[in-house]
Amino acid sequence: MLIELKNITKKFDKQTAVKDLNMKIEKGSITMFIGPSGCGKTTTLKMINRLIEPTSGDILIHGKSVVDMEAVKLRRSIGYVIQEIGLFPHFSVYENIAVVPRLLNWEEKRIKERVDELLHLVTLDPSYAQKYPMQLSGGEQQRVGLARALAADPEILLMDEPFGAIDPINRLKLHDSFLEIQEEIKKTIIFVTHDINEAIKLGDKIAIMNKGTLVQYDETDEILHNPKNEFVENLLGRDRSLKALSLEKTKGFVTHEGYVITGPNDDQGSLREKMKKTRSEQAFILDENGRLLGRKILVTKKTGKQEMIQDSNPVVVDRNNNLVEALSKMLESGEHQLPVVSGRGKFMGVINLSHIFAEVTAAEAKNTIKGA
Amino acid sequence: MGFWEFLQAYQDKIILEFFRHIKIILFSLPFAVLLSVPLGFCISSRPKMAKIVIYLSSVLMTIPSLALFAIMVVLLAPMKLGLGMTPAILAITLYSLLPITRNTYIALNQVSPKTIEAARGLGLSSSQILWKIKIPLSIPVIMAGIRNALVLGVSVATFASLVGAGGLGYFIFSGISRANLKMVAIGAVIVSGLGIGVNYLMLLLEDVLTPMGLKNKS
Ligand SMILES: Nc1ncnc2c1ncn2[C@@H]1O[C@H](COP(=O)(O)OP(=O)(O)OP(=O)(O)O)[C@@H](O)[C@H]1O
Ligand SMILES: [Mg+2]
Repeated sequence: MLIELKNITKKFDKQTAVKDLNMKIEKGSITMFIGPSGCGKTTTLKMINRLIEPTSGDILIHGKSVVDMEAVKLRRSIGYVIQEIGLFPHFSVYENIAVVPRLLNWEEKRIKERVDELLHLVTLDPSYAQKYPMQLSGGEQQRVGLARALAADPEILLMDEPFGAIDPINRLKLHDSFLEIQEEIKKTIIFVTHDINEAIKLGDKIAIMNKGTLVQYDETDEILHNPKNEFVENLLGRDRSLKALSLEKTKGFVTHEGYVITGPNDDQGSLREKMKKTRSEQAFILDENGRLLGRKILVTKKTGKQEMIQDSNPVVVDRNNNLVEALSKMLESGEHQLPVVSGRGKFMGVINLSHIFAEVTAAEAKNTIKGA
Repeated sequence: MGFWEFLQAYQDKIILEFFRHIKIILFSLPFAVLLSVPLGFCISSRPKMAKIVIYLSSVLMTIPSLALFAIMVVLLAPMKLGLGMTPAILAITLYSLLPITRNTYIALNQVSPKTIEAARGLGLSSSQILWKIKIPLSIPVIMAGIRNALVLGVSVATFASLVGAGGLGYFIFSGISRANLKMVAIGAVIVSGLGIGVNYLMLLLEDVLTPMGLKNKS
């Protein structure tokens, strides 16, 4: 157990912000905190890095009470990202990311390597190092905020509504790259959100709070299928069986059949042959690194003649998109088979509409049995 | 006597008084800054005290310059410091109190609490937050306060000649008493020019000292 909250209570004057909270958080997992405004999410988070001291109770990290650690040192070992990001406006992106390593007296050479590495991780061009926060978009600032929090490779990452101020489209993109990043770094993440869809999409576990108490704390799947009470049900909303679909990631549904792969300069004739033989409608064009460049589609004309059309900007599904997102992309583009790519644009295979339907049917069956 | 001949005739005197004028301001500046900036820091986290300090220093500013000089002379007379540089420097320092203290106070309080929270969350100590975050982010506004105080000082120092400290006020006041308009005009023009020049130089300095990321050009 990495983090343990034991009977944590926090009172501000007479008001109780957090009441007798008990929680265990496992290493390498994402725990989402959700609940109405003022229910004590931020307060709980800040008690972990001692920005707020609990009125009573104890917080253990690796079995050691945080009170026994020096607050400043503790904070340097825990990454912290907030909604308003709080990038230092007078520091360049480089200097922002370098804050904690410099506090830890790293050598400048090591810092530089680390900054490069982190910019790559959060998919920002190395040229961003010399920019200032003012010159970045909200999404880019958020990525820098994440990189800064990760700079000294902390084991724990605290994030307080990090994507709250980002528009929905960019938020989806950030989610995808966030999951991609977490796959690589496997941090223990505590993440506060207002958005139940965000909680379901990102969380391994969800902690639902109300008025300073923990209402339900379980695996995401368990919460969706067995909400503890009406409060949780209301929070989840009515379309629970569809929401459960969003638990499934596209990458679990990738298939490697029903399409052909080709290089940018391959021969047309033999490609057509190959497509006919495998009954494929699409051929995906990949470069030497396996990145998707475009696709070719075999279209049958009214005359019965077949023609090859090139589409250099096909709709793609990110492998971390959930099935709801994949489905809506299919409906929008009118395709029943879409290519799946990794965060860096690498082709992974395809996802088929029929497979998503099969999953919907299965989920409905499961809920009906439960309801009966 | 034409204007240019007049200028030539008074050339040495003009240069002398010009440098005296600057000397008065330059002597006042360190006192003003060393008094006001720490005062601004001191009140920055004490809103009640800030209210009082800023109120008192704005009261100081409402005293007409001439009267303030007179008060200085009276107050310093028992120490035999009633005439010369001392009352002038003291008066200008007092006038600078408000613009610098107030701007320092505002500057430190305009730093976003979220920025400070992020800094605390990353593990900066209180003194690191002060030196690495608060002060650099406050410099442009503090410098603007110092600039205002200096420009104000240039005009207030005109009265220094009345207490025997010399300066460009000499031309204005002597000119008036002798009904010599050329003399008044020369004094007025040079004082104004000096004010504009000081303002410009301080703007340049402000620009140099403002951290790159805060400048409004991309
Ligand atoms: N420094 C403080 N002083 C007094 N009361 C506070 C302080 N910080 C928080 N509170 C109170 O404690 C309660 C919990 O606040 P908290 O910030 O943890 O809520 P939250 O769940 O993060 O809400 P939101 O979703 O709006 O961010 C609120 O009622 C708030 O008013
Ligand atoms: Mg909050």
